[in-house]
Amino acid sequence: MAGAIIENMSTKKLVIVGVILLLFQAFAFMVGGLIAPSPTTAVHYLATKCVDKVKKPQQTKWFMPWGEKKCVNIQSFDEAMAKGIEANNIVFAVHIPLPNKEMSPWFQFMLVILQFDIAFKMYNQIADGALVHIDVGLAYRDDMNSEWTEMAHSLEQRKLSCNFTATKTHENEGRHYECDLLPFMEVGSVAHKYYLLNIRLPVNERKKINVGIGEIKDIRLVGIHQNGGFTKVWFAMKTFLTPSILIIMIWYWRRITLMSRPPVLLEKVILALGISMTFINIPVEWFSVGFNWTWMLLFGDIRQGIFYSMLLSFWIIFCGEHLMDQTERNRFSIYWKQVGPIVFGSFCLFIFDMCERGVQLKNPFYSIWASDIGTELAMAFIIVAGICACLYFLFLCFMVFQVFRNISGKRMSLPAMSKARQLHYEGLIFRFKFLMLVTLACAALTVIFFIISQVNEGHWHRGEHMVQVNSAFFTGIYGMWNLYVFAIMFLYAPSHKHYGDEQSSIQCITGDAGVNSCEDIQPTTTITHVDGPTEIYKMIGQEAQE
Amino acid sequence: MSPQQSTFPALKRRTMDNRPVRTKRTGAIRHLLLAAAFLVCSSQLLMVDANSWWSLGLTPMQRPEMYIIGAQPLCSQLSGLSQGQRKLCQLYQDHMTYIGDGAKTGIKECQYQFRQRRWNCSTVDNTSVFGRVMQIGSRETAFTYAISAAGVVNAVSRACREGELSTCGCSRAARPRDLPRDWLWGGCGDNVHYGYRFAREFVDAREREKNYPRGSPEHARMLMNLHNNEAGRQAVYNLANVACKCHGVSGSCSLKTCWLQLADFRRVGEFLKEKYDSAAAMRVGRKGKLELLDKRFNPPTTQDMVYIDPSPDYCLRNETTGSLGTQGRLCNKTSEGMDGCELMCCGRGYDQFKTYKHERCHCKFHWCCYVKCKRCTTLVDQFVCK
Repeated sequence: MAGAIIENMSTKKLVIVGVILLLFQAFAFMVGGLIAPSPTTAVHYLATKCVDKVKKPQQTKWFMPWGEKKCVNIQSFDEAMAKGIEANNIVFAVHIPLPNKEMSPWFQFMLVILQFDIAFKMYNQIADGALVHIDVGLAYRDDMNSEWTEMAHSLEQRKLSCNFTATKTHENEGRHYECDLLPFMEVGSVAHKYYLLNIRLPVNERKKINVGIGEIKDIRLVGIHQNGGFTKVWFAMKTFLTPSILIIMIWYWRRITLMSRPPVLLEKVILALGISMTFINIPVEWFSVGFNWTWMLLFGDIRQGIFYSMLLSFWIIFCGEHLMDQTERNRFSIYWKQVGPIVFGSFCLFIFDMCERGVQLKNPFYSIWASDIGTELAMAFIIVAGICACLYFLFLCFMVFQVFRNISGKRMSLPAMSKARQLHYEGLIFRFKFLMLVTLACAALTVIFFIISQVNEGHWHRGEHMVQVNSAFFTGIYGMWNLYVFAIMFLYAPSHKHYGDEQSSIQCITGDAGVNSCEDIQPTTTITHVDGPTEIYKMIGQEAQE
Repeated sequence: MSPQQSTFPALKRRTMDNRPVRTKRTGAIRHLLLAAAFLVCSSQLLMVDANSWWSLGLTPMQRPEMYIIGAQPLCSQLSGLSQGQRKLCQLYQDHMTYIGDGAKTGIKECQYQFRQRRWNCSTVDNTSVFGRVMQIGSRETAFTYAISAAGVVNAVSRACREGELSTCGCSRAARPRDLPRDWLWGGCGDNVHYGYRFAREFVDAREREKNYPRGSPEHARMLMNLHNNEAGRQAVYNLANVACKCHGVSGSCSLKTCWLQLADFRRVGEFLKEKYDSAAAMRVGRKGKLELLDKRFNPPTTQDMVYIDPSPDYCLRNETTGSLGTQGRLCNKTSEGMDGCELMCCGRGYDQFKTYKHERCHCKFHWCCYVKCKRCTTLVDQFVCK
C-alpha cells in the first residue's frame, strides 16, 4: 500500500520544499511589515458641548459639532453656569471622522471607547459604584449636505470606575480623576461616510439618575477602525492563499481516492483541516466593501473559531493515530474525550461572542461588560473556555509524551531488523519528530510574535523605512498557518511511488534499499492488512502480529 | 503661496532635533524690515521686541470663522507676533484662537504654581504680558517659556480632537490635499504629535528668525529660550500616557490598539515646576553653545530647563528689572515655606486684619451647571506684607 510523501521523498527534495516554504513565510512577514500600514488606527474625538434650547427634546434633531450647521455650543460648563443652562439641555456631539476626512467600507469595523474627564471637587465627589446613564443616538449620512438618518438609539448604563491619585484636599480641587476606559459602541461595517453621535446625560434627582457622578468637564471618545491599507493587503493575501490551499486540497483528495483502500481517519481529518483553512481563506470580505453587512465581523470570528478548533482537534488525532499501541483506532468516537473539551470550549466562546457581537448587530451600544450579570456571565464563559484549554493542553502533552515514549520503545527493537529497514525506520521516526518540531515551532512563533506585538509600541524604525510589527505579526502568522496546512496536505498525501499494488512490489523502499528488504516488507504489508497512511502503521501492524 | 507653504511642511520632515532651519526668503525680508525699523526709531526697537505672542492669551480673540475670506486682518491685527509667526498665522488662521487658549492656560497654570512665591507670575500689561522681568534670562523666565509652549501643545491637540482644525491628523501628509488617500491607507490618529509639531514651528519661529552672532548674550538667550520651549513641549508629550484597548476575536487581545492620552494640565504644571526647581545654570561656552556653569553636574537633557542669568530680587519693586515686589501680598503666618510671612515679606513685616470669608456649604450638585448651596460665613485673620 501507499506510503506518504514525507516518507518517500528524498531528503534533497524535502529540503527544497522546506526552503521554498520558508521563503514564502519570510515573504508573508515582509508583506505585513513593509507594505501594510499598522492594522488599526485610534482617532481621538472631544465631544462638543451643544446647547439644546428646546424645552421638550426632539428625537429628530441632530446636533453637529462643526461645519455649516454647527450647533450653539459652549466652551466650558462655567459658561453654561453663567447662562443658566441646565444639564438636561446639554448634548455632547461627536462627528466621526474629523473634518476633511470620510469613513470608508475599507475600515471594516468601528469601535468607540468612552472616557469622562471628571474634575475633583471637595463637595461633589464621585459616589461609590456610580452609574452613568447615557442617552445616545447614532446617525449617518453619505454626503455633507443631506439630512442625518438615525441608525441606532439607546439608553445605556456604564459603571464609572475612577480613582483619584492625589489626596482629596481643597488644594487638589480641579485635578482630574483617572477613569477607566468604557466600551461604548461597536459597528461591524463602515458603510457610510459620515457618522454623528449625540450623547445626553439626563439628570433625574428623584429616580437618582446621573446623580453623584462628579463634575464632568469633557467627554472624550476614541474611535478605532481597521486601516484601509491593511484591509487591502489582507484581502490580497487571502485572495492569493485561497486558490493555493484549494488546489493542494483537491490534489490531495484525488490522490486519496485513487488508492484502492478507503481513506483512514487521519486523512479525513487532514482534509477537514484543509476545508476549514479554505473556509477562513475565502475572501468573502470583499463583499463588505460593496454591501452593508454588519454581521461580517461575527462571521469572521466564527470562521476563525472553526479553524482553530479544527487545528486543535487535528493535533490530538494526529498524535493519537501515531500512538503505537495495540488498540484499534481509526474511529472518531475514540477521541471524544480529547476533542470534547475543544468543542465545548469553542462553543462557550461562540456563545460569548454571540452575546456580545450578536447583540451588537441590533444595538451597537450594547456591551456585555456594562452590567454586573453580564460581566459575571462573560467571565463564566471565558473561565470555562480557559479550563477547557487547560484540559486540552494536558491531554495533548500526555499524548505527545506517549508517542515519543512508544517511538523510543520501538527503537529498541530496531537492531533486530535488517540494516536497510533499520535505516528506513530511523528516517521515518526522525521525520515524524521533525513534523512535531515544526508544529511546536509554529506554536512557539505564534506565541513569541504575539508577545512582541503586545509589548512593542507597534512599529520599528529601520532607517528610512518603518517596519510595522503588528501588521507583520498578522500577515506572518496567518501565512504561517496556511503554509503549515499546505505542508501537511502535501507531505501526507499518498506517494506516487507506490501507486497501485503492482508497483509496490518493484519500488517498495526508496533510496538505496536492496532487493532483500523488498522481500522483507512485501509479506508484512500483505499479511497484516493494517491500512494506514504511513509506514509506521505497517510497522505497528507487524509488531502487533509478532 | 509656495514659499510660504514651505514653512511648516518643510520643517515637518525634521525629527526631534533642535537645529534651527530657516527659509532664505524670510531671512531677506526680515533683514530689510529690521533695517527699516532700526532707521525709523532705534529706541522703539526694544519695545517691539518686548512684545510677545503670549499677548494672544490676554487679548480676547474673535472666532476665526469671521476671517476666512479676508485672511489678512486677523494676523495683522494681532499684536506680539513676529514675522515668522505672522506668516504661520496667515497659513493656519484657524489655529490662532487655540494658540491664544494655550497661552492663557499656560499663564493660568504658571500663576497657580507660583501663587505662593515672591514672583507670582502676574501679568503686567497686554503687550509684554509679564513685563520687563522676562528680559532677564532667569529661572522664572525659563519656566514661563516652558509652560506657555506646553500650553500651546495642549491646546492645539485639544482643538484637533474637537475637529476645529482643518489640517489636523496625518503626520506624514504635507498638505490637506493629500489627506484622503493617506487617511484611507493608514489613518491619521495621533493629534498629540500634531500639537507638538505645530507648537514647535510656531513658538520657536520667533527665536529662529533672530540672527545674532555666535557667543553674544542675545544668542545665548535665544538658545536658552529654544531649550526651554522644547522642555515645555516635551513635558506634555512625555506625560501623555499610553492607553490601549483589546478587540480581537471574542474580546481577546490578538488585536490591540494603543493611543496617547494627554495628562491634565495641572500635572504638566507640576512636572514643570519640578524642572524649575532643578533647572541648570548655564553660560556661553567657547563654541558659542551653552555649557554648564558648574561642570560637576550632569548636563541638562532636552526635558530639563536651563537659565543663564541669576534671578532678580523680587522683594522690592524695581523699574529696571521689572520686579513688582511683594508689598501688599497675602501671606500665611504659620507657614514656614515660601508663602510664610517671614519669607514672603522679605523681613519687612506684615499687617494683620480680620475679614469675613464666604464659603459655599451643604451643596447639592449635578454633573453640570447646577449647584444649590447655603452660604456659610466665617471670620478669618489675614496677613498682608508691608
